Amino acid sequence: MQVIVDNLPVLLQGLGLTLEYSAVAIVLMIIFGLIFALMRISKIWILRGVSTVYVEIFRSTPLLVQLFFIVLGLPGVIPLNEWFGPRNYPILAAALTLALNEGAYVTEIIRAGIQGVDRGQKEAAASIGMTGFQTMRYIVLPQAFKRMIPPLVNQAAQTIKDTSLLAPVSVVDLVYKGEIVIAATYAGFQIWSVVALLYFIVIFIVSKVAAYLERRLQVDKR
Amino acid sequence: MISVKDLHKSFGENEVLKGISNHVEEQEVVVVIGPSGSGKSTFLRCLNGLEKATSGVIEIAGMELTNPKTKLHELQQNVGMVFQQFNLFKHLSILENITIGPRKVLKQSKEESNAAARELLKKVGLTGKENNYPDELSGGQQQRVAIARALAMKPKVMLFDEPTSALDPEMVGEVLQVMKDLAREGMTMVVVTHEMGFAREMGDRVIFMDDGYIVEEGTPSDIFTNAQEERTKSFLAKIL
Repeated sequence: MQVIVDNLPVLLQGLGLTLEYSAVAIVLMIIFGLIFALMRISKIWILRGVSTVYVEIFRSTPLLVQLFFIVLGLPGVIPLNEWFGPRNYPILAAALTLALNEGAYVTEIIRAGIQGVDRGQKEAAASIGMTGFQTMRYIVLPQAFKRMIPPLVNQAAQTIKDTSLLAPVSVVDLVYKGEIVIAATYAGFQIWSVVALLYFIVIFIVSKVAAYLERRLQVDKR
Repeated sequence: MISVKDLHKSFGENEVLKGISNHVEEQEVVVVIGPSGSGKSTFLRCLNGLEKATSGVIEIAGMELTNPKTKLHELQQNVGMVFQQFNLFKHLSILENITIGPRKVLKQSKEESNAAARELLKKVGLTGKENNYPDELSGGQQQRVAIARALAMKPKVMLFDEPTSALDPEMVGEVLQVMKDLAREGMTMVVVTHEMGFAREMGDRVIFMDDGYIVEEGTPSDIFTNAQEERTKSFLAKIL
């Protein structure tokens, strides 16, 4: 028990870093998701094509492999470490890779949200003389947004868990701090228990928020 | 008010409208009947550009729909449409459903559009439902709101696409009553329906369509009691 109390500050510091990476990745994944989703429903085939290739590549390979490839593999052929600095590049690249990976799923969530709005809603908007932009702005997006919130919150929870994969590419987070503490104390059982519990608490709060939003934001108000 | 010349419409290989020509006068009430798959709904949807004509010329409310230079959304402001499934905006209150067109499209003030919407709700018998949401209303009430939403744009023509087909029988009457009031006020209307009672009572002219053609047209009494074409007779025999 003493080993936990002694090392809790270090682990909480790691949790703080994990939450920072999570926040950055969640903001970026929504930006990427929105851009690529609009590309995916575009009438211009090249935009659709680029978006489809992006989504397929990031969804069809493991995140850990993507991280190894971009953080550790790419600097072998491109002098990225020199350009960005050997300390900065791994962190920047890891955060960006995580955001791109999660963004691929968010692209699908947003696309499905927009396309899930009943066609009759768009026809009704057209029938009162709305332009395509007005229809998107006043009718489709407000309905799509409510539909998208629960899956987006779930994806955010997934992103928080996926930050644990940053440790293997030497980004300091909760898992990384845990490994350091264990290397010094050999208290693997106690420390991994605390690490798991800390993740659990964070994710539990997030999924409670998701459940609450799901109840509150049904598309058809009652 | 509406003039259609040799309208053709195909979905892929399937030709749904095979050359429709017709003319609707101002203040005329035209009822389109026919078996399902006859193309009557497609014909109606072509009239406000929800379906793009494959060929032919359509003029409606003083604009040439089939001219590529015509701005479709400007034309649609003048042509009201009522759908079988109501298609009320689910995320908006009843009042907002009616005012969103006038406010965003016609740029009316909130006060002006709200006052007009309350008048329209009174007209369709739904005063007091302003702050409800569409799912809280019965089908008949929703369809009356949909009519009010279309009227709020002050259209020159109203199109009705089987407006009572999705309703429980006891609610058909209240919607038809609103439509009858509208017809009596002189609104130009094209109504696709299976309500033969409405066609008889309110129709200035009845068009019978089958297999993508207008088979026969005339006054209600011409069609219902003195049909000339075999296909019209056999259709009417089945439904009357």
